[in-house]
Amino acid sequence: MAGSERSGLGRRRFLGHVGSAVAGAAAGAAGGTAWATGGEGGPALGGLGTEVSPYGAHQAGVAAPTPAVVELVALDLRAGVDRAALGRLLRVWTGDIEALATGRPTPGDTEPWLATGSADLTVTVGLGPAALAAARTDPPAGFVEVPSMRHDRLEERWSGGDLVLVVGAREGTSVAHAVRQLVRDAAPFARQRWRQAGFWNGVGPDGRPVTGRNLFGQLDGTANPGPGTELFERTVWVEEPPWTGATTLVVRRIAMDLDAWAMLTRDEQQRAVGRRLDDGARLPEPDPLAHARLAHPSANAGARIFRKGVSYATDAESGLLFQSYQASISEQFVPLQRTLDWADALNRWTTATGSATFAVLPGFERGDWLGSGVVG
Amino acid sequence: MTNTAVRRPWGRTLLGGLTVAVGLAGLAGCGDDRAESTPAAGTGAVTIEDPWVRATSGTEDPTMTAAYLVVDNETEEDVTLEGASSPAAGTVQLHEMAEVDGSMVMREAPDGIVVHAHGGQLLQPGGYHLMLMDLARDLAPGDEVELTLRFSDGSTHEVTAPVKAFTEEGGHYHSPGTAEHGH
Repeated sequence: MAGSERSGLGRRRFLGHVGSAVAGAAAGAAGGTAWATGGEGGPALGGLGTEVSPYGAHQAGVAAPTPAVVELVALDLRAGVDRAALGRLLRVWTGDIEALATGRPTPGDTEPWLATGSADLTVTVGLGPAALAAARTDPPAGFVEVPSMRHDRLEERWSGGDLVLVVGAREGTSVAHAVRQLVRDAAPFARQRWRQAGFWNGVGPDGRPVTGRNLFGQLDGTANPGPGTELFERTVWVEEPPWTGATTLVVRRIAMDLDAWAMLTRDEQQRAVGRRLDDGARLPEPDPLAHARLAHPSANAGARIFRKGVSYATDAESGLLFQSYQASISEQFVPLQRTLDWADALNRWTTATGSATFAVLPGFERGDWLGSGVVG
Repeated sequence: MTNTAVRRPWGRTLLGGLTVAVGLAGLAGCGDDRAESTPAAGTGAVTIEDPWVRATSGTEDPTMTAAYLVVDNETEEDVTLEGASSPAAGTVQLHEMAEVDGSMVMREAPDGIVVHAHGGQLLQPGGYHLMLMDLARDLAPGDEVELTLRFSDGSTHEVTAPVKAFTEEGGHYHSPGTAEHGH
């Protein structure tokens, strides 16, 4: 997952190049290292992130800790994009992802100085129902659209999509740059449908990963299966060819009524969640309809998901960009969501305003391309 | 390099196979640059990075396009990129940007492109590039183009470049109204 794959041909070489007539001056100017805010030799300002290898049996971003900045981008295929064209898009994206993950500019990048190494950068790619149809590819078992729920107030502008990119990094410039490169290179094949930006604080004061908090102040993801465990593998990964190593993603935009929530007493908040707010511990006797109780596998015939959320805050509303990863949407996400829709105490303060489903492609190895086993 | 059989040996994927020791500059005609050659201590190699070709689909003149890449020279001697060829193009020229009568134009680089010892050279939009002419077919984003580069030390490098769309036309590619491509 968080391997430290080095390409050996580092950024150093790129920046050291003699540019040609027009671009030379700019390239040379960027050859310096940091824009030192305190002058050269000043104190270091925070640690670097890591370089997450893009290679492996699974796309690295799924199991990686949620970085500080995450953007979700959905695209729609242009008319006439078939299996062969989709394959060409995925080849282009593969080269981009390899470059971005190692801090190298993508081929043709007009702002190459924005490519930054050790940025915790991951790009996760998924195909929506229409892309699977265009590629004449059978989806993984249990890949269904989420049925409409009673509490949903879905808006078209936050829903659906033929392709998804989940781009995360330790800071926003790297994310914005990566999204721009990927969307730009997709232009012959697809156009952006929606783009949602989120943030997360998953790092404790000692620099170690912690379970972050959503904007209700709740620790979010306390009961998640831990990456690397057998339970995680069973929960998340698809095992049937050609989707071996894939997973499925449900994106839900969940608006949260921060004002109404803030009117509750601490005790009321804790009873709705079923957990203590300070440390996330389960209450000894949670209410029957408390969120933690209804979301527990024991209340859902064992159904379990791997959840990752990032918060958003706009001029219109605040909430959570909820990402649910599971091997089967129909057997894991849907029964769980039905239970919560039926009775979750948190429903009073939360509303799903967007929904989308994607088959997240299996990982790829160096020399291969993303999706080769599915649309190749 | 593992797994090169699967597909596109783009970019870095290629390099292991193509890295060639040219530390001995006089060793002209070391024809097989795919050989596994380990540079001796203190010498490096000439390598090609991040090649890409501009797509022609939808462009005004789909019979020509440009290829861009990065040449790294970690050897002790200057080398000159003297020429290039591609099965996708009838002719490949090395182009440079030059000031003519007060305006910048693209034209064939008469003396090739020098890459200094322990240096590198970008071939990029707005600067040096390979001009691919008399294209055999349209090049769509995601296609691949084989390029062979010839250097002054007698070595040749083959790379496979992905085709990408490039929309930042003005000022980066060929300035409108310049007379550089009269074909």
